[in-house]
Amino acid sequence: MISPCRNIRKNILNIAKSSGHGHIPTCYSVVEIIYAIYSSIKHDPVNPRWEGRDIFILSKGHAALAYYCALAEFGYFDIKKVESFGGFMSDFGCHADRLKIPGIEASTGSLGHGIGLAVGVALAFKIKKTDRSVVTLIGDGEANEGSVWEAVLVAESLKLNNLTIIYDNNMSHSRGLQIHNPVEHFRGFGCNVVEVNGHDVNLLAAEVKNQGPLVKVVVANTKKGCGCRTLIDNHYEWHRRSPKDEEFAKLIKELDDAEAI
Amino acid sequence: MRKQFKETVMVLSKEDNKIALIFGDVSVYLFNDFKDKYPDRFYNMGICENTLISAAAGLSSQGFFPFVHTITPFITERSFEQIKLDMCYNQFGGNIVSTGASFDYAWDGASHHAFTDLSILRLLPGMEVIQPGSRKELDILMRSQYNNGKTTYFRLSDHPHTIDIPVEFGKGVVIKDMSAPLTVITAGPILQNVLQACEGIDVNLLYFHTIKPIDKKLIMQYSGTKILVIHDAFGLYEAICEVPGLSITYRGLPDAFCNWYGTVPDIRKKMGLDVESIRETIITNLLKKS
Repeated sequence: MISPCRNIRKNILNIAKSSGHGHIPTCYSVVEIIYAIYSSIKHDPVNPRWEGRDIFILSKGHAALAYYCALAEFGYFDIKKVESFGGFMSDFGCHADRLKIPGIEASTGSLGHGIGLAVGVALAFKIKKTDRSVVTLIGDGEANEGSVWEAVLVAESLKLNNLTIIYDNNMSHSRGLQIHNPVEHFRGFGCNVVEVNGHDVNLLAAEVKNQGPLVKVVVANTKKGCGCRTLIDNHYEWHRRSPKDEEFAKLIKELDDAEAI
Repeated sequence: MRKQFKETVMVLSKEDNKIALIFGDVSVYLFNDFKDKYPDRFYNMGICENTLISAAAGLSSQGFFPFVHTITPFITERSFEQIKLDMCYNQFGGNIVSTGASFDYAWDGASHHAFTDLSILRLLPGMEVIQPGSRKELDILMRSQYNNGKTTYFRLSDHPHTIDIPVEFGKGVVIKDMSAPLTVITAGPILQNVLQACEGIDVNLLYFHTIKPIDKKLIMQYSGTKILVIHDAFGLYEAICEVPGLSITYRGLPDAFCNWYGTVPDIRKKMGLDVESIRETIITNLLKKS
């Protein structure tokens, strides 16, 4: 049987090709992360608004296609619905709209917003004294935004130990403002920081569940385009590209041949 | 007006445990009573306006009615995108209550003067924009709007007017109808000066505490007259211009920063918004042939 993460990647590639849209390399860096989150948190695909659910907010909103394909994998909707991706009448835009898609908790896109929203949700759960928790996924490029660090300061100050921040360390930042040591930065802000292989579902899932007395940060070391050598080696070129026919066949073959995804 | 904000919130909170206050390190001492009574619903989050708004949106997503409060230019201009996306686009509504309207922080200079807030916030889909002119207006409008699921902006002032007028959200008020050919329109605390300036002159005078939605119906009743908008901010004039075909003039702020300090009366005089200058403007407009 094809593994869930390999299947998500194939769906991302298929839809990026047919629609002409998609940030494929950045989507491929977060496949295991989103899969691990939904393997760990309390949620119900049949009843997405279930009141006891944990909340996931995709702060790096441009990885929406990976998010949709992961939600489809968990049964929120049929993957066929996502094939309209980016189309005029589609519910599935290149950045997600929470009012259109079951399971999407916040409409994101502009960077540095989702993490602040997540802080507010975590605070709401503290006030309500529920054991529901919040997970947000931010990008390393996104962490150029000052609002990310504001939100971390506030989360730490409010002792929001029901909040897990996953930092997709896929080296996006390397072409602009560089963040050389995110682990030390988050530690300096008073968070409980762990660093893991961001393509290892089991490790990621264990860390999402493991919350202590502090705000949890998981620095997930990932590769843009993970699963396809061509994408890894040329991720700048592929940032917003959709594959042509011959490129598509090559990428599919690389996915089929890839180990451990 | 800040005291009224506190009093209204204290009264509302007696029956509503969904009210949560998110403050940006201002008015904290004033709200000690609230903090003592409801410690788990009062947060002085610090001087981080972007996160104040995003966190308020997060609270709203879980059923709370947040009140975000800090200084006008910082919460509106610096956090404009957070208000636009996290609150309005996501439909995570809440209340933004600013202090330091127009030139209330006169002595602090241009960094603290607030003149764009009403005009930029009225552009956001679904947003309600309120400039209460008095404590009574704030009390009535806050009670009626705070929990309606929308994002509502309340612009507090330290210089409220003292005129007692009927208040209903979204409704303009006829202060004077002299069947005159000129209608003066104003909003917020500057009504005090405008009303005094109109004394003994045959003009109509309309007043708005709600900038969005603007009461178009009322404006249309006066669309056959010349209209003179007098306001110590931007936003009201643009809102009135939503009614097409008006013969309308704006007398308010210039396209320039205010590079003076001093007091609110000092700056109003410099801007031509003291009683005498407003009176002169009205008479000039009255005499002007259309």
